[in-house]
Order: sequence, then C-alpha cells, then structure tokens
Amino acid sequence: MIFREVEDRDLIAKARRGHVEAYNVLVSRWEKRVFNYLLRLVGQREDALDLSQDVFLKAYQNLKKLDDPAKFPAWLFRIAHNEAYSLLRKNRPEGEITVEPRMAEASGGMFPIETALAVRSALSRLSDDQREAVLLKVYQGFKFEEMAEILACPVSTVKSRLYTAFDLLKQTLAPVNTGGSE
Amino acid sequence: MTCSLDDLKAYAVGELTRREQTALEDHVRACGSCREELERLNLMRSALATLEEEELPRRIAFVSDRVFEPRWWQTMWRSGPAMGFASAALLAGAILAHGFVRPVAQGPAAVDTAQIEQRVESQVNARLDAAVAKAVAVSEARQSAEFDKTLKAVETRFQSQLQAQSATVQQAADYYREKMAQFLVASNEGSAR
Repeated sequence: MIFREVEDRDLIAKARRGHVEAYNVLVSRWEKRVFNYLLRLVGQREDALDLSQDVFLKAYQNLKKLDDPAKFPAWLFRIAHNEAYSLLRKNRPEGEITVEPRMAEASGGMFPIETALAVRSALSRLSDDQREAVLLKVYQGFKFEEMAEILACPVSTVKSRLYTAFDLLKQTLAPVNTGGSE
Repeated sequence: MTCSLDDLKAYAVGELTRREQTALEDHVRACGSCREELERLNLMRSALATLEEEELPRRIAFVSDRVFEPRWWQTMWRSGPAMGFASAALLAGAILAHGFVRPVAQGPAAVDTAQIEQRVESQVNARLDAAVAKAVAVSEARQSAEFDKTLKAVETRFQSQLQAQSATVQQAADYYREKMAQFLVASNEGSAR
C-alpha cells in the first residue's frame, strides 16, 4: 500500500507537469473502483461510465489544486460523489424513493449469485446517504476521517449513516445469511 | 467494559485501535448478546462481500493535453488575482483608447465620400493658392522697393555726373572766353600800331 502510494504520488507529479501518459496510468489504477462506486450509487452502467469519464477529466483539470498527493483517493472520490449527486438530484425529484422488490425475502439456500442479487437489492433499499456510507467503508475501505472529507460532513454523521445502514442490512440480509449458512 | 453496539460496528469495520480491539474482544468472550450481535455483523459483511466489482464497458483514457486542458479563460476565471489584473488592464486599455480615438460625430445617413474629398481638395487648393499669392506679392513688393532704390541711386549719380560735367564745361567756356578776350585785345593793339 505504501509502495502504491509512492507510485501514485510520482504519477500525480508527472501528470501535473502535463504528462498525459502518467495520468492515464493513474486512471487505469482507479477507474474500476470509481466506476463501481458510481454504478452502485446511480444504478445505471452508462450513467456510471459517463460520470467516471467526467470525474477523471475534472480531476486532471484540477490536479494542481490537490495540496497533498497522499490524499488523492479521498479527493478523487469527493469529485465522484459530487458528480453522482448532481445526476441523482437531476434524475430524482426531492423525496422520491426508489424501492426495488425484496429479493432477499426469497427462500433460503441461495447460491452466491443469488446472494449477490439480494445484496444489490438490499443496498438499493437504503437511502442514498446510507448506501454511499456503506460503499465508501465496506467496498472502498476509506477511514471515517476520509469519508467525512469526501462527503463534506462531520465524522459523527458518517458513523450515524453507516451504523443505521448496518442495522437495516442486517435485517434485510438475515434470511440470506441464514439460508447460506445452512 | 459495557455493551456498546457502536463499538461492535466499529470493530467490524476495523475502526478501533489495537487497545480498543483487545478490550472489546475480552468483553465479547464474556458477553453472549454482544457475541451474537458481532456474528450478525460478520454475516452481513460476508453477504456484502459476495457483490463483486464489475468491469468497465470500455477503458477511460486521454489522448492529448489539448483535448482536456482547461481553456485559458477557465484558468483565468478560476484565478482571482489574474482576473483582477485582467480587469485592471482592460480598464487601462479602455482609458488609453479613449484618449487616442475621439468619438466622431455622425453625419447624415447618405454621405458621398467623393464629394467630401473634392470639397476638401478644393479648400486645400484655395488655401495653397492664397498662400502662394501672398508670397508672390511680398516678393514683388520687395523687388519693387529694391528697384526704386536702385533707380534713385542711379538718378542721383547721374545728376552728380551731370553737375560735374556742367561745371567742367563752364570752366572750359570761361577759359575759352578769357582766351578770346585776350586774343581780341592783342589783335586790337596790333592794328593800332
């Protein structure tokens, strides 16, 4: 991880001097994570891909504003968060909640693919804020302080969103876990 | 240590310090309800882990700086000091331009430029002719004065010469008259002898 961070720092320094190839290497390292984060947030592959391109474009244009290259991941996901929420606000009027069928309520004994579908469904039942907290912590591995920077909110808010999401996921995924463990 | 659901969740996502972890693990071993809660959290995490990352439909890559470099005006717009300098420069330029370029009064809608040029040319020619005439008049006056002066000098010299010649002629006449008188006297004296 340290080795990787040093390498990213070098790539960022080169990209700041106009080395496009260095930036492309940086993009290749982060594009999958950014794409999946956006995909699980907005739900549409094409939207997630378009947003990913916008994220990396804006990141390049503002690379010189990044004070500490070690904070590149949180800074990049901050841009991704802003892009995703711009789209969500545009596509989804205030107060409207998307509810997908509760696939997790299916009978036990699920295969991994079915479990994955149940997880996707369970995540979709969370609020945007709760789902994003889960994505950043569980799937992207950010610390609470980094999440607070990305989401521009206090650490206490981050914890509150994440822990509430965990309570909901435990309830929703309980039949799946039970079924899988039998 | 007392039961804390938040501590269990923080433990499940690796947000406790090593010391806190040790304390919580000691507590969980002794507390059945916390152990069950931790198991539920771990099962939830296991279920979440089944969701694999998807591949991108196509790679993201940039080909050249020109394609996605910020424009000069975007850079300028984002820079407060540069924007201030540009505004000041623009204002200074406007003042300077105003100093050099006076606003021209608008004439009638349809103006024959050829006519204006002809009129200007005639005015220029008239002024030129007047200037030339004035110069010629001054020159002629000066020449006339010089001519008069020369003529007067010639007349004066001629009168002087004339007077001098008259005097010479008078002297010669007096001389011959005296000689004639002497001759007559001598002649009379000869005939008388």
